[in-house]
Amino acid sequence: MATPVDRLEDRRARKGTTMQPHAATGLRFVLVVIGVIVCMTLVRRGLMALGMRREAATGFSLITPWLLGFLVFTSFPMVASLYLSFSNYDIFRSPEWIGLDNYRRIFTRDIDFVPAIRITLLYGFLSVPIGVAGSLLVALLLANDLKGIGTYRTVYYLPTVLPEVAVALLWRWIFNPQAGLLNRILLPVYRLLGMSRPDWFGDVPFVLPAYIIISLWGITGVNMVIFLAALKNVPGHLYEVALIDGAGSFRRFRSITIPMISPVIFLQVVRGIIGALQIFTVYAFTQATPRAGKFMSFYIYQTGFQQFRMGYASALAWILFAIILMLTLLVLRSSEMWVYYEGEKK
Amino acid sequence: MKSLGNRPLDKPVATGAAGGGLEWWKTRRTRDRVLRVVSYLVVTAGAVVLVMPFLWMISSSLKPVHAVFAAPPQWIPDPIMWSNYIEAWRAMPFTRFLINTVFIIALGMTGEIASCTVVAYGFARYRFPGRTFLFVVLLSTMMLPYVVTLIPTFLIWRWLGLINTFDPLVVGAIFAWGPFHIFLLRQFMLTVPIQMEEAAIVDGANTMERFALIMLPLIRPALLAVGVFTFQAFWNDFLGPLIYLNDMRKYTLNLGMYFFLGGPAEPPQWHYLMAMSTLLALPVLLLFFVAQRYFIEGITITGLKG
Repeated sequence: MATPVDRLEDRRARKGTTMQPHAATGLRFVLVVIGVIVCMTLVRRGLMALGMRREAATGFSLITPWLLGFLVFTSFPMVASLYLSFSNYDIFRSPEWIGLDNYRRIFTRDIDFVPAIRITLLYGFLSVPIGVAGSLLVALLLANDLKGIGTYRTVYYLPTVLPEVAVALLWRWIFNPQAGLLNRILLPVYRLLGMSRPDWFGDVPFVLPAYIIISLWGITGVNMVIFLAALKNVPGHLYEVALIDGAGSFRRFRSITIPMISPVIFLQVVRGIIGALQIFTVYAFTQATPRAGKFMSFYIYQTGFQQFRMGYASALAWILFAIILMLTLLVLRSSEMWVYYEGEKK
Repeated sequence: MKSLGNRPLDKPVATGAAGGGLEWWKTRRTRDRVLRVVSYLVVTAGAVVLVMPFLWMISSSLKPVHAVFAAPPQWIPDPIMWSNYIEAWRAMPFTRFLINTVFIIALGMTGEIASCTVVAYGFARYRFPGRTFLFVVLLSTMMLPYVVTLIPTFLIWRWLGLINTFDPLVVGAIFAWGPFHIFLLRQFMLTVPIQMEEAAIVDGANTMERFALIMLPLIRPALLAVGVFTFQAFWNDFLGPLIYLNDMRKYTLNLGMYFFLGGPAEPPQWHYLMAMSTLLALPVLLLFFVAQRYFIEGITITGLKG
């Protein structure tokens, strides 16, 4: 029989082994911190020895952590992944240069690529405009000086505070074909239309709408707060002048509000595109049927980290990156026509 | 008399204006009132729609197995099964996952907040050649999709022999990997009048003292905002642990949830899953209610000055 002391010792021993990875990481963490501080000092001393002004040398030394991180964790990986995208690499043997083969294969023989890019782009094209317009509408509504509006704002912000994993599981449960809340609420509608209850994540035509609905739940979050602040920043005298000129509320919204907050709209669209085209966690936890197409980031994860086709996955990643970049540039180019910056000379 | 003479001229105009104004005011007021009621209705309806899924999650988490699939849906579980939480928590080593998660968050937050603040200070207060260019580079990395750097970053950590350790999830934070946070802190620092620091310099303070004694106390709201965002980001992180950790003793809560969920073929046990989801949401909700101001302020600073 184990005495309490034995058990305690046993627990201590176990704790010793199970906490080892934490201690090791903690130690390395501290060492890297010291290393970075040493680097910062060296940069400052070195630059000053080279005859740089004190202020400039200090400035450089202060941004050293970011500069190092940028070189090691951003620039190098960018170049490396471009190189890998032209090679065959399975982690175990060294990468082998195969030119454009990965890309050729993706565009001609990959049966998963077209559905993946289709659902990813459709999701982006639908969720971003709906999201931006929706959060602007909600912000307009909450910008009213109603009594108790503060409480409402808090409530509206709730969905975005929830962790993504919880949100994904919650919606998977709501979309459950038999007992899900949504199918139960919509039952009369289904009867009216003479259709059976859809399996949202199982029936191909319903998968995309399901993800759009989930994204709709999030429109009241960060974007709405930014819009609220932007609306507050529009100078009131503009509205007063317009009112005197007899402009109606729609006219005031179109000719004052929209131009004044257009830089904010622009930023939201750009950020929305980048976020929407990389949706991962929600998809991983909802496990919709792959027949509807896997979202690109999940497809890249599977190719790279489950099948270890790192070269091929890099090529997929670069295609997604190219699409995101093109769309961002497109929005940027179009912004000259509709984004109004105050203080800008016409 | 002057007043008499003026009256006939003035009065019709005055009464006309007053009468017309009164009517205009009246209709406008009723219109406002109607609008107000409609606004309340819409806002309340919206709030109900937003909160319903959330309440459904809590309600499902407290149901006995047989009531989970009951039709019509029960909103108030009977009996209330608090034991669901205990059973779900014990179904996997969630206590261990929680310890791991807290460990990662503690190190990651420390690294990220400290490094981002230092870098932001450099960008905000020191002139050096190429500053504007480097800041634009920093901003453009905000637009960089993570999928592009994912694989080579993994290969770097693999080359260092640190796969299946916590290092890839926390050590990178020392290198100020949140361009968004640097940006937020810098914007906030720019609003602090420089005179205070200049006075400190006259008193013989060095860079470190200037930064720690003058700047840090003044940017507390921005620091808290970054703290809240960082916490949320680490709490939400799923892809990182998924890629780097493969020993169950090192799993985080999110990764544990992924395996708790099981494969697509296994029917998930919804009352347990909802109990765990509620538990996952709890810390962030508490944080939000305590630090709501900083959430909102942080978002506002970055959203508007972008």
